[in-house]
Amino acid sequence: MDSENSACGNPNPNPTLGPSKLMLAFRFLRALSLVHRTTPASSRTCRGRRIERAAYASMAYSAGTGRGWSRAVLRRLHHRARRRAVAPRRLSTTAGNRAEALRQLVPGGAGMDYCTLLEETADYIKCLSMQVELMQGIVDSSSSYGP
Amino acid sequence: MQHGSREVRGGMAASASAQMALHDDHGSQQIQNPGLHDDFFDQMLSGLPSAWTDLGNPKSPWDASAAQKLFRIDLAGKQPDESQPEAAAEGLRYASYEEATMLASRLSQSQGSGGSSPTGEAMMLQLNNHHILPAVGRSQTAVGGGVGESGLLPLPLTLGSGGAADPRIIVETPRDEMDRPYKSPDHNGGEELYNGLGGSIRAAQAATGQHFHHPQSYGGAAASAGVGQGPAASASSGGGTPPQKQKVRARRGQATDPHSIAERLRRERIAERMKALQELVPNANKTDKASMLDEIIDYVKFLQLQVKVLSMSRLGGAAAVAPLVADISTEGPGGRAGANGAAAGNNDSLTVTEHRVAKMMEEDMGSAMQYLQGKGLCLMPISLASAISSAACRPSAGGLVPAPPPATTSAAAAAESPSSPSASALTVQSAAADTTAPKR
Repeated sequence: MDSENSACGNPNPNPTLGPSKLMLAFRFLRALSLVHRTTPASSRTCRGRRIERAAYASMAYSAGTGRGWSRAVLRRLHHRARRRAVAPRRLSTTAGNRAEALRQLVPGGAGMDYCTLLEETADYIKCLSMQVELMQGIVDSSSSYGP
Repeated sequence: MQHGSREVRGGMAASASAQMALHDDHGSQQIQNPGLHDDFFDQMLSGLPSAWTDLGNPKSPWDASAAQKLFRIDLAGKQPDESQPEAAAEGLRYASYEEATMLASRLSQSQGSGGSSPTGEAMMLQLNNHHILPAVGRSQTAVGGGVGESGLLPLPLTLGSGGAADPRIIVETPRDEMDRPYKSPDHNGGEELYNGLGGSIRAAQAATGQHFHHPQSYGGAAASAGVGQGPAASASSGGGTPPQKQKVRARRGQATDPHSIAERLRRERIAERMKALQELVPNANKTDKASMLDEIIDYVKFLQLQVKVLSMSRLGGAAAVAPLVADISTEGPGGRAGANGAAAGNNDSLTVTEHRVAKMMEEDMGSAMQYLQGKGLCLMPISLASAISSAACRPSAGGLVPAPPPATTSAAAAAESPSSPSASALTVQSAAADTTAPKR
């Protein structure tokens, strides 16, 4: 889904504070409308997956390229555009596996040292929660006033 | 045993050191106190002058039995096991053993200056409860039994530069005074050991004169610090002379070794990041690092699941969104063409719609929303609209920044972004219109 690339390639102006909520909303709404426009109404799951991808894409673009995880997400997106990608396998958290499990959850975590991993996790959590808030707000607003 | 030699230099009885050694042994669980076999003692003591006999109990000559007695006294509850001298001897594989003998010989040399002093006994009593480095264990016992101080020798390996900061501070002055007269070239090895021994011993030494009540805390502190230190720290700190050691000595629990410094830095950074994470993740009241990590992992999984669920559920809203999107897409090209130049025209039409929507809103919100959707428009917060318009305007030179009409009962601003024909929104603003979109 290349709906998100190109126009908004600006790096995150305030990397420390995290992506701006407004920019995130803007990008996501744009992508969402694109998804709705291009997807046939019959394929629900397909649309759902596309929306999810759009969510991650808008998240990554809002975060900018200053973050390891956002770069990894964009890389994954671009590669997926060319070929079918496999869903990442998940590790169960066992005693020795916590760092590994975290690496698998956070995009791009495999190539990081533990210290950087923690940092990226914090930023990733921030962006994820912002995205979830946004989506929840959209669903709420659309459902309360919809027909 | 530097510390032993220091004691001597300090004028403290070698007995103090000997007794201290014994008492130090007392602290270690693995002590095989019992290592005080007569033969072994004789072996150890063969090279020592008779002055050593003064070290122990003033009452009894220094010999194996006296040492054993002392051991029994110190190690309350521990039965001297006489059958383990060989084992104890076996335990003397540590390098410190050689140092112990070295120190022992040195001590014997310096015996002349020192005489037994009652403080030695006092130290013995103080050190009674010291739990100095259980790790010292065997070598301590074995060697300590014979030489009396050798028990302390392994201490340097573990105590290293560790030692309580506070006790050390208290100790430092007296130690300085003690140390100065004793800079003999002979005592390099001893000094190493001394440096290695850490604060507990010195504290004990210094405390002899002044702080009788401190050594216990010293001992405990030093012991814990020492155990925490590890041989690396002691090895690194063993190089300097004692007075210099005092100045460059790291705080308790830290070391001057570059590796440990880097390690410490890394640990601090990790702790910092964990704290930041704790603030982000709910239910982060776990003190355990492992459970904190588990919590973080679960939270990330939860958030990702939420995104998935919300994206699926959006399908429900798709029915409402689809017409919106369809309208927008049809409007898109036309809108874009018009947007660049004819902002006024757009505004006019929008103003009309605006008013209609405002009127409808006063009656019934739901119907107003439906009307909007029918028109292919949606409601969004004014801040979002401003942001969108500003973002849209930036990349495009001819972008328009729709100025929200003067505040009326239902001020509305239409933002149209040239770069995204599909985004067309009607913004309802209750407060005064904010004409300047925030630039970023």
